[in-house]
Amino acid sequence: MTGPLDISSMTLQRPTVEEGLVAEEALLDMVCQGEISLGWLAWSPRDRGLVMPRRHERLAGFPEARARLAERGWPVRFRATGGTPVPQSPQVINVALAQRCRVGGSAAHLEWGYHRLGDPWCDWLGHLGVADSDLGPVAGSYCDGRFNVRIAGRKLVGTAQRWRRVRGCRDMALLVHGAMQVEGNPAELVAVVNDFQAGIGDPMRFRAERHIALREAIPGFQPETLDTLLARYRG
Amino acid sequence: MSTAITVPEDLWEGDNEGVITAWLVDDGSQVSQGDLVAEVMVEKAQYEIEAPAAGRLAIAKQEDEVVAKGTTIASLDD
Repeated sequence: MTGPLDISSMTLQRPTVEEGLVAEEALLDMVCQGEISLGWLAWSPRDRGLVMPRRHERLAGFPEARARLAERGWPVRFRATGGTPVPQSPQVINVALAQRCRVGGSAAHLEWGYHRLGDPWCDWLGHLGVADSDLGPVAGSYCDGRFNVRIAGRKLVGTAQRWRRVRGCRDMALLVHGAMQVEGNPAELVAVVNDFQAGIGDPMRFRAERHIALREAIPGFQPETLDTLLARYRG
Repeated sequence: MSTAITVPEDLWEGDNEGVITAWLVDDGSQVSQGDLVAEVMVEKAQYEIEAPAAGRLAIAKQEDEVVAKGTTIASLDD
């Protein structure tokens, strides 16, 4: 069960941040239990939160930073995938893909996983008229990695993964997740992450101009067209 | 008898090092074969490490320590 979310739905769902995160973990569980070999979720939260791996709890200053963000309407939530803090809000659309992978084949390593999510995303952007999208790092962006979806070198989609052994065999189950800011000014979300950075006493600050919201590239974007992205993940 | 818990060689390709992000079981706890005991992160990917046998967990590598594939991170003692 994925709670209030329907798996492999072609429409965007609107859970809370917590419900969305729980549904993603449940999706991975379904692959691990052999109930499905492929599934996805597309969701945009109806509330807000700053989402990070649980290991951040160990950082000095975390309790104070958490309290400060909660006061400002950005409660901290924890996710199962790797990386660093990422803001979630109604401005953000998430796509999570879970798939069973055979160890020893080409489809059982992290680079393959990132391309499995990111290449169709770039193809979809091209279909919508964005010519200069690719995968790569974006220095100065929050939660940076080697496999962001970029537009003209700016970060549109942050990506992360979780891998789990399928019960009773050598196959692996992959959960790969992408978070894309669709509307609003990236400076608003970058400020939330920088607020957390200040709270934990980390001098690193992130730069809003290294991010891009989808509507800056596609002013007429409608969430209904997300089904043409999800269709690319079938099979 | 003691069984080593190592970072499996087939968890990821290449020679990147990971970091132990969490122990899911306390040091000294009794675990069963197949229990999830730890998480290792490489390039924003979290990998789960299972117990290869039953036994009492003796942690050798602590949270936030850097590990390579094949590294012994704990042992399971009868």
